[in-house]
Amino acid sequence: MRSTKTYFSTFFSGLLSLLKGMRVTIREFFTKKTTEQYPENRATLKMFDRFRGELVMPHDENGNNKCIACGLCQANCPNGTIRITTDTITTEDGKKKKVLVKYEYDLGSCIFCQLCVKNCPRNAIEFRPTFEHAVFTRSKLIKQLN
Amino acid sequence: MFDFGVVTQWIDELLRSFLPGTAATLVELVLIGLCLLVGYAVIALILIYAERKVCAFFQCRIGPNRVGPYGTIQSIADMLKMLTKEIIEINHVDRFLFNLAPFMVIIASVLAFGCLPFAKGLHVIDFNVGIFFLIAVSSIGIVGILLAGWASNNKYSLIGAMRSGAQMISYELSIGLSILTLVVFSGTMQLSEIVEQQAAGWFIFRGHIPAFIAFVIYVIAGTAETNRGPFDLPEADSELTAGYHTEYSGMHFGFFYLAEYLNMFVVAGVATTLFLGGWMPLHIPGWEGFNQVMDYIPSLIWFAGKCAVVIFIIMWFKWTFPRLRIDQLLHLEWKYLLPINLCNLLLMVIVVVFKLHF
Amino acid sequence: MELIENIKHIAPDASVEEGKIPTITVPPTHYRQVAEELRNNPNLSFDFLICMTGCDWGDSLGVISLLQSTVHEHKVFLKTYTTNRENPELPTVSDIWGTANLNEREVFDFLGIRFINHPDMRRLFLRTDWVGYPLRKDYDASESINPVRLYSDDTLDTTPTYEATPEGEISEKENILFEDDEYVVNIGPQHPATHGVLRFRVSLEGEIVKKVDVNCGYIHRGIEKLCETLTYPQTLAMTDRLDYLAAHHNRHALCLCIEDALGIEVPERVKYIRTIMDELQRLSSHLLFWSSLCMDMGALTAFFYGFRDREKVLDIMEETTGGRLIQNYNTIGGLMADIHPDSIRRIKELIKYLPPMLKEYHEVFTGNIIAQERLKHIGILTRENAISYGVTGPAGRASGWSCDVRKHTPYGVYDKVDFKEILYTEGDSFSRYMVRMDEIVESIHILEQLVDNIPAGDYAVKTPAIIKLPEGHYFRSVEASRGEFGVYIESRGDKYPYRMKFRSPCLTLVSVVDQLTKGNKIADLIAIGGTLDYVVPDLDR
Repeated sequence: MRSTKTYFSTFFSGLLSLLKGMRVTIREFFTKKTTEQYPENRATLKMFDRFRGELVMPHDENGNNKCIACGLCQANCPNGTIRITTDTITTEDGKKKKVLVKYEYDLGSCIFCQLCVKNCPRNAIEFRPTFEHAVFTRSKLIKQLN
Repeated sequence: MFDFGVVTQWIDELLRSFLPGTAATLVELVLIGLCLLVGYAVIALILIYAERKVCAFFQCRIGPNRVGPYGTIQSIADMLKMLTKEIIEINHVDRFLFNLAPFMVIIASVLAFGCLPFAKGLHVIDFNVGIFFLIAVSSIGIVGILLAGWASNNKYSLIGAMRSGAQMISYELSIGLSILTLVVFSGTMQLSEIVEQQAAGWFIFRGHIPAFIAFVIYVIAGTAETNRGPFDLPEADSELTAGYHTEYSGMHFGFFYLAEYLNMFVVAGVATTLFLGGWMPLHIPGWEGFNQVMDYIPSLIWFAGKCAVVIFIIMWFKWTFPRLRIDQLLHLEWKYLLPINLCNLLLMVIVVVFKLHF
Repeated sequence: MELIENIKHIAPDASVEEGKIPTITVPPTHYRQVAEELRNNPNLSFDFLICMTGCDWGDSLGVISLLQSTVHEHKVFLKTYTTNRENPELPTVSDIWGTANLNEREVFDFLGIRFINHPDMRRLFLRTDWVGYPLRKDYDASESINPVRLYSDDTLDTTPTYEATPEGEISEKENILFEDDEYVVNIGPQHPATHGVLRFRVSLEGEIVKKVDVNCGYIHRGIEKLCETLTYPQTLAMTDRLDYLAAHHNRHALCLCIEDALGIEVPERVKYIRTIMDELQRLSSHLLFWSSLCMDMGALTAFFYGFRDREKVLDIMEETTGGRLIQNYNTIGGLMADIHPDSIRRIKELIKYLPPMLKEYHEVFTGNIIAQERLKHIGILTRENAISYGVTGPAGRASGWSCDVRKHTPYGVYDKVDFKEILYTEGDSFSRYMVRMDEIVESIHILEQLVDNIPAGDYAVKTPAIIKLPEGHYFRSVEASRGEFGVYIESRGDKYPYRMKFRSPCLTLVSVVDQLTKGNKIADLIAIGGTLDYVVPDLDR
């Protein structure tokens, strides 16, 4: 007798649980959809300002950057992403000074660990929240920042 | 109400006017075959699109919206892709059976599709054991699925095929019994007759409790018959990757895909015909004006609309429930649906004998 | 101390080094006796092997294991070594602690130490044709020795094992994994339900699973080896890539370990923010667990609901940390940046938003009769086995083992907030599932308490430009989303770690798959895998 009772009670409670689930899904059927309409909403899509898209070296209006070619970013990079070419010049007052010739950054091997930005003594580099980086060849990912 | 018989009659007379009798019949057969296949393909495309949209809406998504307005051409594009794709030759398969299997599946579903009365006068095969024929041909599909799983020489496929064997043979019983309940009620196995009888009121209303129970069981068992979720064990994508059609590619896979959707349509079509009055408009005895207005709506639309409702319910199942396990599946059939069905049949007999129906 | 006397009594040649956690060094001759004593003596009962690390100390090779007692809550390091570099052999402890089984295979893989009487001495991560042992200090990494091989590795149905006779002779034998006539199916490495490139070889009898053999290493990146060539700040970047769903927790553990070693005390504000981010991470991870379990069980719609809500958590984290998966937020001595001012508002919105959604989850999935029948009484893990195999986290707590690191050795501000440690006793799939669902509620509760009370202060302390850890070994662990994530660092005073080992919670989860699935169905294997919720990059490292 008891088993008969459980037979029927499980049947009906099971049925009820299924209907409950169906009620939830039909409610969601009519609620607003959450799909991000990506290429269409390009104009309004804004990434968070801390998002790390790519490394850039900001230049002022005269085209100068703050890099002093100290090489700390290169030394701190765990992945060999940054390559700095420097040159030593003599300034007007006769002092030797290292200057930056080429600042190469390989977006393809960057792991966005932020150690370069954190260790830069002059805040010469920073991350920008850009995100459309897809290109067809790897070589295009190697960028010269200065 | 417009009778499609007028059109078919006209074509028949036209053909016979300049062709000898046998040739005319032959041409008609070819024409009917073509119409069926075109109808089959079109309905499949519509259903694939509908499924994607419905599924997306259940899941807070928008669904296809790139190809054509609201993504309407998406399924056509997919079909073209499928048609042009390579059919990969797989080593170590039983080539003959491997290639035969998708055709078995598709033939079974086309045959069953052909039995449906789509509208007034639009009915291909109408003979006195129509339902019997329908059940018989629709169960050929299982052979195709078993063959596909066996011939693929793939362990996943074989497990999938075995599952579908167990599943479809079990649920065939429920389908048969719930249809039998309605046959008891209507007293005929001819589909056109059954539809005509529902002019006064759909069977689901006239047969009240037993008819409703039979309808619910039919929809559940029908979902299981078509291997759709939550009964999609034979293909169980998270367990068996794709089950019996894992090794199929190109249009061979396409056949399985089409057949799945068309089988859903056939199930909905049969449910419509047996329970919801087929192409018959909604008539309420006594409300003459209302009935007349209903009659203005073409019968084809009635049929399609009712099918759409049933299909939506089946989709609703699929996009809500988790998949059953094989033992749960068999428990549901043998411990619940079958006994209920038998009791229901008895109940229906009582209803008919004591004329308790409306 | 009684412990030391006991040890001295069994092994007179053992040496004990006092410290926060004492270290017992035993020569291999007495290793097993000491291990058994530690395990079985009721006053000691070290029943939980947290972490086993193989190490090349230059003159010797050996293993150092961190043991804990779940009864007395004390810890000890047990160390043994062999000076034979040609044929290093050590006795196994895999019959004393279940978790040692896979760990000893890992040690064999990386250092070539053969464990005598271990049932299964195959490599764990690397290919069978790999030349050399990467974690040995004299390992030659040149590409001519181990080129990229373009053919697939053989899968053998047998496994070597080394047995010792009573006379001390060592003979190699073969253990049979699968007989020739068994129906062995590959689940993975490419399979929708393994959540990554994990490979199970499953022997089937119809629908019934007879045996599961776990093959890992498909996403092994050699992170521990890599860390030996990186400075401490650089190693931080690696932890986010272990368990990418608990990136925050992993990094938190490494930061804690280094800060401990350096003696840095971080400001209160940092502790608060770290705790908040940890809980957000747990939320996102558990929501993903729910979604992927539903998907594995065929409820695809539920999957999308979970992901929709996880998106909101990720948004909060992205705003503060700048990353969605790879957070990159904790640093040695503090944080990368202060918490974003907008985050407080967003977290409050989340606290309001989630509970109704949880109700929806329960309606659509938890209460569902199909889901219940598929999860209840399936894949039962007993408390003893959970401890022996080191199955921590929600899976361990579902078996009734109170193993929450947040409660037992609080870090961050977990000692100041009020939360329950969710415990179930059944140990089946359903309780593993429910533990996580309840932990979501607890996480929300913790966030509620913290979000308005973040004290003012700095978000980082000044650290030396070049970080060198004092000589010694250090271990710290945190409660990650899937269990106890620990970091073991051995330092020789350089700016690079001498040995860095990550205690992966997922490796222990995978080690119980076989015993949980035996006798169940294929569909249950998928559901059990889903409820164990392993993340493959974490176990492969």
